[in-house]
Amino acid sequence: MNALYASRRRRDFSIRVLCYAATALGLIWLALILFSLFSNGFAGLSWAVFTQMTPPPGSTDGGLANAIFGSIAMTSLGVAIGAPLGMLAGVYLAEYGRYEKLSDVVRFINDILLSAPSIIIGLFVYMAVVKPTGGFSGYAGALALAVIVVPVVVRTTEDMLLLVPNTLREAASALGLPRSLVIKRIALRAARAGVITGVLLATARVAGETAPLLFTSLSNQFWSVNMGKAMANLPVTINAFVQSPYETWRQLAWTGALLITLAVLTLNIVARVLGAERKQK
Amino acid sequence: MTDVMTKDPLTSDASPPASAVDAKVSIKNLDFYYGESRALKDVNLKLEANRVTAFIGPSGCGKSTLLRVLNRMYDLYPGQRATGQVLLDGKNILDPGVDLNLLRARVGMVFQKPTPFPMTIYENIAFGVRLYEKISKSEMDGRVEAALKGAALWGEVKDKLDASGLSLSGGQQQRLCIARTVAIRPEVILFDEPCSALDPISTAKIEELIDELKSRYTIAIVTHNMQQAARVSDRTAFMYLGELIEFDDTPRMFTSPAQQRTQDYITGRFG
Amino acid sequence: MTSRVSPEGGPVTDIAMKQAPIGAETAQRARALAGFKLGDRTFYWLTRSAAMGVLLLLGGIIVTLFSGAWPAMQAYGFEFLWTSRWAPQLEPQPILGALGPIYGTLLTAFIAMAIATPVGIGVAIFLTELCPVTLRRPIGMAIELLAGIPSIIYGMWGFFVLAPFLTNHFQPAMISLFEGVPVLGTIFAGPPSYLSLFNASLVLAIMVLPFITAIARDVFATVPPMLKESAYGLGCTTWEVMKNVVIPYTRVGLIGGVMLGLGRALGETMAVTFIIGNSFRINGSVFAPGTTISAAIASEFAESDGVHQSALILLGLLLFVLTFFVLAAARLMLRRLERRAGG
Repeated sequence: MNALYASRRRRDFSIRVLCYAATALGLIWLALILFSLFSNGFAGLSWAVFTQMTPPPGSTDGGLANAIFGSIAMTSLGVAIGAPLGMLAGVYLAEYGRYEKLSDVVRFINDILLSAPSIIIGLFVYMAVVKPTGGFSGYAGALALAVIVVPVVVRTTEDMLLLVPNTLREAASALGLPRSLVIKRIALRAARAGVITGVLLATARVAGETAPLLFTSLSNQFWSVNMGKAMANLPVTINAFVQSPYETWRQLAWTGALLITLAVLTLNIVARVLGAERKQK
Repeated sequence: MTDVMTKDPLTSDASPPASAVDAKVSIKNLDFYYGESRALKDVNLKLEANRVTAFIGPSGCGKSTLLRVLNRMYDLYPGQRATGQVLLDGKNILDPGVDLNLLRARVGMVFQKPTPFPMTIYENIAFGVRLYEKISKSEMDGRVEAALKGAALWGEVKDKLDASGLSLSGGQQQRLCIARTVAIRPEVILFDEPCSALDPISTAKIEELIDELKSRYTIAIVTHNMQQAARVSDRTAFMYLGELIEFDDTPRMFTSPAQQRTQDYITGRFG
Repeated sequence: MTSRVSPEGGPVTDIAMKQAPIGAETAQRARALAGFKLGDRTFYWLTRSAAMGVLLLLGGIIVTLFSGAWPAMQAYGFEFLWTSRWAPQLEPQPILGALGPIYGTLLTAFIAMAIATPVGIGVAIFLTELCPVTLRRPIGMAIELLAGIPSIIYGMWGFFVLAPFLTNHFQPAMISLFEGVPVLGTIFAGPPSYLSLFNASLVLAIMVLPFITAIARDVFATVPPMLKESAYGLGCTTWEVMKNVVIPYTRVGLIGGVMLGLGRALGETMAVTFIIGNSFRINGSVFAPGTTISAAIASEFAESDGVHQSALILLGLLLFVLTFFVLAAARLMLRRLERRAGG
């Protein structure tokens, strides 16, 4: 009996050690990544990064101003297009169509689009927008990002609305409120923090997306606010500079990566703080 | 209106002379289905104006279901349907063409758990009023005050109308919900176990309130508390397994019920 | 028509209770409500169209990819799937085959999952069972934040930091260790290479690790505490509770979560593009350069045209179909677990 117990203990102990090791391993990798990112990224941080354009071929000096602007513009437009669509669809799934068979199908497809490879979205927008309109453009990039935003927002909006108790909907309906007002003024209001969290998370997700922009917005080495033309953006610039022979270009890639990561982490943290506040209420 | 006065075997002997009170709501041959299962079986009953009608019975007997038919709350969910007739002032509310929002404006409901909306106390009340009437700010202030007074809540909240409705205590929240319902001037008010989540003092306040409200409204209340039914109601209906077993004046119901099952339930032999 | 009895000096005198004749009041309310009708219908149709839009989106993706891939399908037929040569510049007609990228995609995803699954689940076990409560939230939060870091960052780090390390230290050791051993000797054949399938797989593994951990942790959280407590009550050790209660209870969800990670690994672009080498040739060794479908598209698409472009789109379509099935299976499994946890 004692021998058996001892062997059980030994087994348990060894598994525990493996779990600790796995965690240590995981955290070490991630710490290493963050360390390289921060040490290399901060080294290149200067005003020039924000004021100068990306260097043209042959030149070694430059900044990321046009790429930063392009990223902000395309991300904002992408979220501005995708988030309302996603919210509306999420409302339908959680409210009007909650018990419909069709909603089950939509939910399922949405879940798949949620994790579909983003490069496929790039191909889709290239075929659907870039080719017919005859050129790469900031709009096409923003559209590709919007396609990625939609399923994320659909999912979170639906989930958040499902957390709103039905009694609240009944209470509002009992006052004679038309259904659309029950949804807009009561249900969405009760779920507001959660829905905003979802939009922030979606923004964080697309802020660093590279693959869908490679052949939709392409890049542009000049300052351009015209979204109808090819547009510079951080991820594609990083993609180009990582394999560059110039040390300064590689440095810009690290700095750009740092900027993206900081933006994404900030959005994530703000979203989580908002979400936590909602839970405490 | 003659059809409302038609003699009904269940209620005829219970009602005082028909001329004394009007039947605000008459339910005729009402059946209700959750999908395939039949939750109400051939219910016939009248709710009289300015009277409180209580529904009692063990859980699952269909009393809440019946209440939810009266403002067609069940319509929010698929697979639930009612057949038969429910006449509100002589018009069948089960007709397909009925405007549900209008119906619910006329037949208000207070729920088991307090359900303040996620907004200020003031807005909780003004919100519903604004739906039906365009009135000035000062008029609205008056309406909010009146509704809160009507729900015996004014004294407790008059200094914090801008606080969230969720910041109130459970009993206060429930009275806020009553104020909200009263503010849009319904004709019938349905109470679905309004005190089951409240402490005895809050319960007493709400029972008092119901007693005051009946001078102006037709009231139906579902309760699992027989003392409460005895205290607040003029008529009591006992339901069991989806059937209306007995319907009578409350005092008679609690002293000499006609049915053995009513007797058994009231004396606590089951339920 | 019955009329309501007017209030006879109720306890509250107020303007709210002033009675208008019922007919008039009802008519006025009906008018007020009628004003909402149009908005109500519009909102319903807006949301419904948006929901249908999700289906259209999927349909649109399939149709556009299909139409874009059509010229390549006509030119190469099913042979495309098992042709290993990729020669887009060949005259008069390029020879293009998908075998190389398919091989690379499957191999890198397989290696990545073989590493990330046990480690990721180990971390999840640590977080749910072993971790001190005070550390649980910060570590959990760190993992979730890291799952949100854009994949290009992982790719960059792999290119600048991990690949040199692996090439100079890990690869030579493995090559000399397995030299001369049948099969393993071929898999781990030299020379060490900066750009290789193995390096790409490791970056992929690190990238999907937080993802798998986050899902596994959520899945473990669906186990009713009573179930675990009763097992601990019998005197089970932590491992025995995991093995006999938690893992069997959550098996479907765990597999679903791992497949979700697999779906991600299969379709990931930026984490691998820099260090996979973009070589379409199939070499038995994991230390040789290779390519994946997404890396091939990322590096060649912008400069492609004609049948070459069409073939790249066909590769994209293949990837989409592959991930579609993996993700669909994953979702079905996760849904089964959710349903059980919910009911």
